[in-house]
Amino acid sequence: MEKKLEVKDLIISFRTSGGKVQAVRNISFDLYKGETLAIVGESGSGKSVTNRAVIGILAGNAIVEGGEIVYDGQDLLKIPEEEFHKIRGDKIAMIFQDPMSSLNPIMKVGTQLTEAMLLKSSSGRRNARNNFNTKLQLLNKFMDMVDEGDKVEIEKNKQECETFDKFCINSTKLESAYNEIYRAVIELQLDVENQLFLNSKKQPIEVKKVVKDVIKRIPETYHPDIVVEDEKLRSIVAVLNEELKLPKSKAFSEACVKALEELSEILEAASKRTKPNYFTLGFYMMKNPTANVDDMPIEELTEMTRKYLDEEFMFGFIDDGAKAMAFSHNKSIEAKKALLVKTEEFLEYFRNEKLDKKQTYALAGEMIKLVNDAIDHLQVAKNSVEHTFASSIKDALSKYFAGVVKNPKEQARYDRQKARHDALIAKGKTVDWKVVPAALVDLDLARKNIRGIIHNLRASYRRDIENDANYNGREQVIALIEYLKEQASAVVYKVTKKMAKAKALKLLEEVGIPEPAIRYNQYPFEFSGGMRQRIVIAIALAANPDILICDEPTTALDVTIQSQILELINRIKAERNLSVIFITHDLGVVANMADRIAVMYAGKIVEYGTADDIFYDPRHPYTWALLSSMPDLDTTEKLEAIPGTPPNMIFPPKGDAFAARNKYALEIDFEQEPPMFQISDTHYAATWLLHPNAPKVNPPKIVVDRIERMSKKGVQ
Amino acid sequence: MSEEKKVLLSVQHLEQFFKMGRKKLKAVNDVSFDIYKGEVFGLVGESGCGKTTTGRSIIRLYDITGGSVYFDGQRICAGINTYKETIKQAKAKANAQLVELKKQPASPERDEQIAQINADLNKVIEEQTALIKSAKYDHKHCNKVFAEHQKKLVREKYEPMLANMPEGEEKKALQAEYKEALRLAGKDRIMNKMQMIFQDPIASLNPRMTVREIIAEGLIIRGIKDKAFIDEQVYKVLDLVGLVPEHASRYPHEFSGGQRQRIGIARAIILNPELIIADEPISALDVSIQAQVINLLNELRETLGLTIMFIAHDLSVVKYFSDRIAVMYFGKIVELTTSDELFAHPLHPYTKSLLSAIPLPDPRFEKQRKRITYNPIAAHDYSEQGPYMQEITPGHFIYCNDAEFEMYKKELAGDSTNN
Repeated sequence: MEKKLEVKDLIISFRTSGGKVQAVRNISFDLYKGETLAIVGESGSGKSVTNRAVIGILAGNAIVEGGEIVYDGQDLLKIPEEEFHKIRGDKIAMIFQDPMSSLNPIMKVGTQLTEAMLLKSSSGRRNARNNFNTKLQLLNKFMDMVDEGDKVEIEKNKQECETFDKFCINSTKLESAYNEIYRAVIELQLDVENQLFLNSKKQPIEVKKVVKDVIKRIPETYHPDIVVEDEKLRSIVAVLNEELKLPKSKAFSEACVKALEELSEILEAASKRTKPNYFTLGFYMMKNPTANVDDMPIEELTEMTRKYLDEEFMFGFIDDGAKAMAFSHNKSIEAKKALLVKTEEFLEYFRNEKLDKKQTYALAGEMIKLVNDAIDHLQVAKNSVEHTFASSIKDALSKYFAGVVKNPKEQARYDRQKARHDALIAKGKTVDWKVVPAALVDLDLARKNIRGIIHNLRASYRRDIENDANYNGREQVIALIEYLKEQASAVVYKVTKKMAKAKALKLLEEVGIPEPAIRYNQYPFEFSGGMRQRIVIAIALAANPDILICDEPTTALDVTIQSQILELINRIKAERNLSVIFITHDLGVVANMADRIAVMYAGKIVEYGTADDIFYDPRHPYTWALLSSMPDLDTTEKLEAIPGTPPNMIFPPKGDAFAARNKYALEIDFEQEPPMFQISDTHYAATWLLHPNAPKVNPPKIVVDRIERMSKKGVQ
Repeated sequence: MSEEKKVLLSVQHLEQFFKMGRKKLKAVNDVSFDIYKGEVFGLVGESGCGKTTTGRSIIRLYDITGGSVYFDGQRICAGINTYKETIKQAKAKANAQLVELKKQPASPERDEQIAQINADLNKVIEEQTALIKSAKYDHKHCNKVFAEHQKKLVREKYEPMLANMPEGEEKKALQAEYKEALRLAGKDRIMNKMQMIFQDPIASLNPRMTVREIIAEGLIIRGIKDKAFIDEQVYKVLDLVGLVPEHASRYPHEFSGGQRQRIGIARAIILNPELIIADEPISALDVSIQAQVINLLNELRETLGLTIMFIAHDLSVVKYFSDRIAVMYFGKIVELTTSDELFAHPLHPYTKSLLSAIPLPDPRFEKQRKRITYNPIAAHDYSEQGPYMQEITPGHFIYCNDAEFEMYKKELAGDSTNN
């Protein structure tokens, strides 16, 4: 599975008047494409802070002390704010707990919904076009390099790329037009069906309004590939027009019901027709603009055009492309092999006790250039280590040299203050101020970090070289073509104001808001809490993000709406292959949503595993406590509440942070922090109870009973 | 069994409408239920269905539009809408009849009929006006009536004692005590027997008062002046809710969420109420804290013999905590029964949909769970007969019409044979 987001050794603290609050202490997790990762914990356990760091909205007094958040080959902690504008909301969206704080009180809901769509449409199309062009030009360049100056071949390459560009965009245009009409057909069918249902239940209907609406929408469904029965449609429209002339009534006339039923049948049949393959069809139509293919059955047409495309163009293009890809790959591998040798010199240099600033930066610059040159730009999947190398090494260097300058000053200040303090104490005076400890940068550690970055790079290079034997140019070029197709669809996908409004109305309806047309023009204060949360979800989804972070989105809502919203998120996740990070303290919600779960306590992940691992085989006492403190429908005994409150993170406790509230705590828990013990391939927990020498402890009765009950239910 | 139970709170045809411009929002529409002494009565429903409004109407935070609420046999709030409606309907009916009659040629018979109709109408108006008057009186003076009653009790207790006592120091002391007791009885309110716990502990505590002031406020209003006694009471309830006396001099912002909710509970129980209306007391709290608060309420219920009306939307908590549950939908109670019965045999389609939405901590079950959606238009056919509250088995009430009643009965029979 493709990794979407990687968080590595993240450490975040907050500067407060009371001291430094260590909110997140060394957290690592991955997020794969299309999965839901749930982060569970009490308030104050650092779950929200972690995710605010991901989306780049940490409070002003936050200090990121270390770690990486890698998304799409970029370290999100190090990119500038301008870059972040392109990611926040567009690629990574967030739904907050309090809907009122994420809505603009003086803008209408509709404006807020369409704002992002319109903005994204123009910039997204421009970006997609850029991506498309650069990749294609790069491919062309490498094709030319393979052919080494053969004029005929170069001309052929150029033509191939141009052809691809043209028909790819054209066919995507055709397809997008088809999709739009297909959607209109399905919507119309649903609406007609609903009205007929209401009619059959003898509910009052605004007949004229409905009929007018249907008449207006029927022409929108005309498309040669979808709705074929023009004659019938015309007769239906005629019947409906007759209906309009009848006196006002609250139910359809019989003729009208019949016509609507017929319409519904036609539309349903239309919606079941197979979709033609526009990619191949587009090429065929471009080559033979005069050909008439309307009468051909769709399966046959697809088969024919596919053959045509393959023979005329695709095989040749793929062959050339594969050669170019292999060439570029080999070049990059060669460079990497050379760099593996070269980096040893660099490593040696950074082992020096003292580094000269000018020389070091020159060296680093050289290194960054070499690494950037070694990147295989034609490859679709980006390797994060190579791409983040420049930013991480610059960051590490600046930290080191800042330390070189500041450390002596800081040390001097500390000595001065300490001397004064001691002198006062010696005089026997009461001193009401404290000596501020010296904030020194550990230079050895800083140098070690620099070497660590280079080591990481080398490890990644070695992996690449090892995998070189498995390299398949054809597979890679097909992946590249898929990528180009994706970009082409983004280029074609244009959002006008009218479309944005239609889409917004549909989104509002999708998230379960009745009468969206009226609600569209209202202000946030006119909505109830649940409704506001739905608006926020609609806004987050409007931009079609890659990753959706949900920060307790349903905590303030009641069960029916909660389950509706969870279903909504689940459905959208499946439809768009979204990756979701779901933050909550409600384990019932987690069971429904999560593929994997991370349990957090006091800024650390204490247990990490699949949903089945956590619910059927929990190992950490904190997970037990969470599970036993919530009743389910069969619970009758007294609940086991967790005593006490979470620790003060200005002074994190020694050893295991949960030890003080944990009735299963061992003596070592108060002395030493437990490491992560691996239980299975997917399941990890940080508790000393898993140590081979630890006494055997059973989970609380309430948890054991529930697991037993659940497994019985599963058997049935 | 049911004879032994004493009805503590009885709500009859409660209506609470809000004016929205020209329209009326029927937040609570003709709701009736009884709460027995010592039980926990759960009220569930989606947000906006009127469960909080019901709670607030009972405790007179709103003036109700129609119906009446009896506490311990005494009417504590009453609305006059129903009576007004009855008069309006009677007038309309009479008018229609009169118009019809006046079309006929004049005859002594006709005159007699007209006189009869007018007399009937006047009788109805008279009856209803009397009811309105009594409702208004009860609504305004229920506390006074209660205070008079308390005073009477005090008098009955002290007067024979005083009469039998010889003159002297002792008698003077007793007289002073009598006077004080009389004063306190005069300040007693029936509404003190009911207290409310609010959803948001932060918003319901005054940030500028210390915990001691917050908790003691009720006692002071009640007329108690003895500082030592107040302190003693405050420490006692703080101890009851699991806080320590040192907390009394702190401010609300110094506490965590769970502790704040405990302060809210302490404030509610200091006047020794018989009924507590808990309006979503745990939905703003963390999971682990929720368990603490539920355990606390359970303990208090046992030690103080409280009756609790528990308003919530988390069904697993309501199931765990309540004896009987009423399900509300759009201002109406649609189903009311014991909590086990409700979860074993849900009958009303809305209840079924609500139960199908409960998230459980069981991933395998969750992945296959199918939510039932409730569509009132599709589920009911009320074109022939409107629905009303019917008792299907003892203690199991459901809101339906006769055709549905038969259907539910069959369903219930089928259920029990299957089991």
